[in-house]
Amino acid sequence: MDKKKYAKLEKGITPKPNLLKNCLKAFLVGGTICLIAQFIALFYMTFFDFTERTANNPTVATMIFIAMLLTGFGAYKKIGQVGGAGAAVPITGFGNAVVSAAIEHRSEGYVLGVGGNIFKLAGSVIVYGVFSAFLVALVKTILVKVGVVSW
Amino acid sequence: MVDIRQLLILICVLLLLSGCIPNEYKFENRTGEDATKAEELLKGDDRLKGAAALFYEDHLLVGIRVKTFSRFNKRDIAKEVEKKLKKAYPELTVFVSADSKILTETNKLILKNDEKGLKKKIDHLIKLAKEET
Repeated sequence: MDKKKYAKLEKGITPKPNLLKNCLKAFLVGGTICLIAQFIALFYMTFFDFTERTANNPTVATMIFIAMLLTGFGAYKKIGQVGGAGAAVPITGFGNAVVSAAIEHRSEGYVLGVGGNIFKLAGSVIVYGVFSAFLVALVKTILVKVGVVSW
Repeated sequence: MVDIRQLLILICVLLLLSGCIPNEYKFENRTGEDATKAEELLKGDDRLKGAAALFYEDHLLVGIRVKTFSRFNKRDIAKEVEKKLKKAYPELTVFVSADSKILTETNKLILKNDEKGLKKKIDHLIKLAKEET
């Protein structure tokens, strides 16, 4: 079987994903997650001394905590099945990636299992985030030192 | 038992209706200053859709609500309004913020009508708004 034949065969067997439907589902699920986060931010602003700017951090922490609980109870994978990218892109997807890896490798022990694999999926996100933040800060520092912009 | 579809429709309707909160301008003057200048200035700005202004002793605390499509530069708008108000009231310490926390808290202070500890609360609000993350 040559390459072309295989490609033809593969094309015939693979089910066609309904792109529009999937996009709509992702939009709705992601939007619902953000709506919940908005309510949490509003809660922190109404009952605590947080402004719109400072309410971000506790809101993100709360959303990650909820995602962790849902992952542990096995509910987040159902959300992910329906929502796809809509469930993976918000910060809750990040929490899910960390916790699901930890749960998966629990049987291998706490140090080599949980400790060694907890950042298997989310580690690259953290490394990319820290590294790009470092680069941006470096550029900004140079620009400020040269005198092009101010802090 | 309530059907889940009915519940969903109810939530959707409530969310839609929550957009109908009236946009209002509130002014409370507890000084000898003339508040009409601020009123004209805030109501004349077509980028704003609501404001709460509280004059107290040497303070002028203003919370503004910016129209949806101007929200991207709401900080610049607040700065601009602050500059204008400072020009109009040179002897007051003016503080303008587009943060919804400041707006709701200013509204609360106006509604409460309680002079006790008002200055402390205003100072606390200004400190909160200037806080960095």
